[in-house]
Amino acid sequence: MGDEYPTLFRSEQMSLVQLIVPTEVAHDTIAELGELGNVQFKDLNPDVNPFQRSFVGEIRRIDEMARRVRFFASQVEKEKEPIPIRPLYDSAPLLTVGPRGAQTIDELDVKLAEHEARLTQMNESYQLLSERLRELVEARHVLRETAVFFEQAAVRETETRTSLDDSAPLLQHDDREQQFSSGELQFDLEFVAGTIDRARLSTFERVLWRVLRGNLYMNYIDIQEPFVDPATGAETRKNVFIIFAHGDILLSKIRKIAESMGATIYPIDVNADKRADSMREVTGRLEDLQIVLYNTGANRRAELMTIGENLASWQDVVAKEKLIYETLNLLNYDVRRKTLIAEGWCPTRDIPQIQLALRHATEESGTNVPPILHELRTNRTPPTFHRTNKFTEGFQTIMDAYGVATYQEVNPGLFAVITFPFLFAVMFGDIGHGFIITIAAALMILFERKLGKADLGEIIGTFFFGRYIILLMGFFSIYTGFLYNDIFSKSLHLFHSGWDFREDYFNGTVGVSNGHTYPFGLDPAWHGAENGLLFTNSYKMKMSIVLGVIHMTFAVCLQVPNHIRFRRFSDIYTNFIPQMIFLQSIFGYLVICIIYKWTIDWSKAPTQPPSLLNMLISMVLSPGSVDPESQLYPGQSTVQVILLLLAGICVPWLLVTKPYLEWQEMKKIQGQGYIGLGADDAPRHTDDTMLEGEEEGNGRAIVEANDEEHEQHDFSEVVVHQVIHTIEFCLGCVSHTASYLRLWALSLAHAQLSEVLWDMTIANVLGMSGLIGIIALLLVGAMWLVLTIAILCVMEGLSAFLHALRLHWVEANSKHYEAGGYQFVPLSFARLNEKQ
Amino acid sequence: MEALLFNVSGGFLEGIVRGYKAGLLTQNQYNNLTQCETIEDFRTQLSATDYGNFLANEPLPISTSTISDKATQLLVDQFNYLRSNAVEPLSKFLEYMTYAYMIDNVILIITGTLHGRNTNELLQRCHPLGIFDTMPALCVATNVEELYHTVLVETPLAPYFRDSVTAADLDDLNIEIIRNTLYKAYLEDFDAFCQSLGGPTAEIMHRILAFEADRRAINITINSFGTQLSKEQRAKLFPTIGRLFPEGNNALARADDIEQVRQACEPVAEYRAFFDSSGPGAGRVNGGAGGGSESTANLLGDLGVSDEFGGGAADLEDRFFVHEVHLNKLAFLQQFQYAVFYSYIKLKEQEIRSLTWIAECIAQNARDRIHDFIPTF
Repeated sequence: MGDEYPTLFRSEQMSLVQLIVPTEVAHDTIAELGELGNVQFKDLNPDVNPFQRSFVGEIRRIDEMARRVRFFASQVEKEKEPIPIRPLYDSAPLLTVGPRGAQTIDELDVKLAEHEARLTQMNESYQLLSERLRELVEARHVLRETAVFFEQAAVRETETRTSLDDSAPLLQHDDREQQFSSGELQFDLEFVAGTIDRARLSTFERVLWRVLRGNLYMNYIDIQEPFVDPATGAETRKNVFIIFAHGDILLSKIRKIAESMGATIYPIDVNADKRADSMREVTGRLEDLQIVLYNTGANRRAELMTIGENLASWQDVVAKEKLIYETLNLLNYDVRRKTLIAEGWCPTRDIPQIQLALRHATEESGTNVPPILHELRTNRTPPTFHRTNKFTEGFQTIMDAYGVATYQEVNPGLFAVITFPFLFAVMFGDIGHGFIITIAAALMILFERKLGKADLGEIIGTFFFGRYIILLMGFFSIYTGFLYNDIFSKSLHLFHSGWDFREDYFNGTVGVSNGHTYPFGLDPAWHGAENGLLFTNSYKMKMSIVLGVIHMTFAVCLQVPNHIRFRRFSDIYTNFIPQMIFLQSIFGYLVICIIYKWTIDWSKAPTQPPSLLNMLISMVLSPGSVDPESQLYPGQSTVQVILLLLAGICVPWLLVTKPYLEWQEMKKIQGQGYIGLGADDAPRHTDDTMLEGEEEGNGRAIVEANDEEHEQHDFSEVVVHQVIHTIEFCLGCVSHTASYLRLWALSLAHAQLSEVLWDMTIANVLGMSGLIGIIALLLVGAMWLVLTIAILCVMEGLSAFLHALRLHWVEANSKHYEAGGYQFVPLSFARLNEKQ
Repeated sequence: MEALLFNVSGGFLEGIVRGYKAGLLTQNQYNNLTQCETIEDFRTQLSATDYGNFLANEPLPISTSTISDKATQLLVDQFNYLRSNAVEPLSKFLEYMTYAYMIDNVILIITGTLHGRNTNELLQRCHPLGIFDTMPALCVATNVEELYHTVLVETPLAPYFRDSVTAADLDDLNIEIIRNTLYKAYLEDFDAFCQSLGGPTAEIMHRILAFEADRRAINITINSFGTQLSKEQRAKLFPTIGRLFPEGNNALARADDIEQVRQACEPVAEYRAFFDSSGPGAGRVNGGAGGGSESTANLLGDLGVSDEFGGGAADLEDRFFVHEVHLNKLAFLQQFQYAVFYSYIKLKEQEIRSLTWIAECIAQNARDRIHDFIPTF
């Protein structure tokens, strides 16, 4: 079965396998399979709570380790000067498999705990010291600022003394008395000084004012430099305040409020000498503390450095171990037999590889009981798995975004590799723009190793992911650019043109055919001709219809391999053939008419060229009558009536045959005396599983009965389905054909936009001469280049991309793609890294 | 009308709050939680819910208070998000919701100061939603007059205080009177505000606030049996917006024992059920509440946290909670109204209480009582 060579045409053949793993090697086996990334494990205990599963203890331990590693990472990140983290590919691997695996994990656990304890301790002492330092710095500020304040006050005091002002307040008068008596500057007002958070200052002042009923004098000064919290790195700005008040009760109230508002109060002496003393003391202690703090900081940094050495590999190991134990939790644990039973999907082709891995795991762990693998027969639908490489991955992702293919269905992702860039290019046809995006994609591919490792961010990352799509889009754009003969809105004159221009007295310049035929693409003579736009419009519009009908016909044809693979042979003549006839008899005929009309030289024909659009409309609205004025070929009306009849027959054919066959089938079965057993089926099923769980794996899956919902094949459902399908197809043919006109519209818009850009920028300065001309050309040329890349390549490119996407998803996929599958998600360590 | 214009300013936040509501724990998740053996299991189980990894970076062992704090922090974050995105009148509505927490905080601090507790410790115990700038200064107040003039005059609570409180010394009884007067004024004001909004907001909020008012009236009555509180004083504390007003309130004011309270509640069908078998249980409201962490502050009883109760599931207070949850759930049935914001916060608070209860039961190995929480959804 599995000898078919893997292609993108259908998804990989899958097998449901059962693994019977001895407990001793379970961990290593899962690790090995995780490295391989080929098996998708099924949850065999869906009814068990997550914390009642077998390996919760281990997971919890790993979680704790992960928490420590996260703690380290956050500490390393917070450090102002970056700490080098040795990348994973550079670090020595930590072996967690094999006989010493468990020991390694134990050691790692202990090591992490030790590091954490050390780091926390250092953090604590660092924080403590910083706190003390902060207090000292604040104290110094308070001392300094109060000193300034007192000095100012002293100056003012002498001033008031010398000025013989009678209106001096009573209080100051008292002061003066006292000063006279003591002989030097002295305050009898008591005060509180300290620091407070600047944000709270105004509240603080307000509350004080209200509590003391205004009996206070408050002064405050900003401290310039902010205080940085060592733990969080948050900055706070503080103010020094000094409050004068009278009386012990008031002062104690001030202290109380200050404390509750989070202010720090420092004892400051009134005496200037004592203040100077404490200032000296504070400065001395500050210096000592700074040295200690520096040493602590250096120690902490050294510790973080050693952590940084191993951090990446720890993260890796912890993440892997967690994944392993989470997978082990999915397995069926049999206490009595000391084995674990695993079930899962894997590609049939990879079974030998998996077996090899299992044997390898056994050898590694040093036991001689190998895990046993055998395939199970099942009627469940396997997951869909397309083996992609870096080239096809992008295209496949585009199709998976629409829907994951049903198992073994024809995969539109394969054809998208060509059709997608081609349809894009039809809308984006320009040699120059195509060249730019080709270069961009080529650069990304050239440096893909380096770029792949770097974190590119979401937007650039998306472009990088689609680099091969962009490359092909670029190639095809160059090709269609040659077809349209468009390079940055100019045309190339590669061959001899088929038209000569002559001055005509009546009509101005007139092109006259000279017998040549331009060998490839559009004749450059059309560029700049008065009816050039008319011509390219008609040409591109018809071309879009032709391409569209071809694309849709192809999509309809893709049904056939599906019908054959799934043995629905009747569908070929109930669905495929009528659909094909319907499509061809109307739109296929239109395409033939388009091509036929192109082949006729209308300048020599007796009649005017007929409008094909009107022809198609009148073909449906007034069958059998063709206006001889607009007749394309003789016998046209007969042909059209026959074609219309064919299409008309197809509708009831499509509508009725399938339900009829279904009904006949049902009647045959009933005639033989069988009755559907939908409801009675279930209990027997569970009995089976229970039995076979005991017998252990003689070819039946353990969780088979749990989640296989049987679709009810009701006759009415078939009818409704077919009615919808018919209506959708017939209406869809019309609207989808019209939808392909977007190829023309976008291509027209692109060409016009690039022409406008050229005319508005470079065309204006091209004629200038001299130095100014060169400078202007340089400036405007730069502008033109930037706009070309930003608007024409990126914006227009995205819009064309979007429309190409739509044409694939809606117009083509609706013709054949069922997309009812589910993705194959194997256990894989590589994916784990991707996620991070 | 609301359907036409509500979404202009309130649609986004209503969407947000309904999203939050969808994240409330379900019965199934509660069942899983009650099966946990240890607090670590509890954490693992919670990490599968909307709480996510809120405990992931906590070193083991985790205390119940950490769980409660962290969960409350989540609630506060959500509330602040709503509040900072709100415009009038929703912002006013949300502000009104914080007043209740402010009242609780004010009472907590003055009671604590009265009993010589450390101010910083008290500040940490305050509910984060009810914190205001000048709150720390509360601790210097020694009488009611001072309390008002120094601190409360610039808070939104000032109008409630101004009219209703006469100067008196701060003692336990007076603090309780202050608390209940404030609450009465607050509930009446909030209700008046909601009525001014009109529409379904007025209707639903009146239903919820009326129940809150009646609950307070009943609690005050029951808890004042055997204290020095005179009946006239008691009557003044009853909010006048409840469904019991006015006859029920008058009857409550005259009540001397639990039987008379029951009779006073008789006219309202929903309340009748509260007293069906709670004769013995009601006594415990009085005794149990006093033993809580807020010590003697609960002389007259208040919204004691359910896990501080000694009683079983049939407690009167628990029945009140169940009914409150029921009313709040009903608020989500109507669209284009602000009551969902109120209800969500209340439900989330209830959820946090339930979580703490479960965690506490696990930590203390009291598995037989683990089911005595009040589920929300």
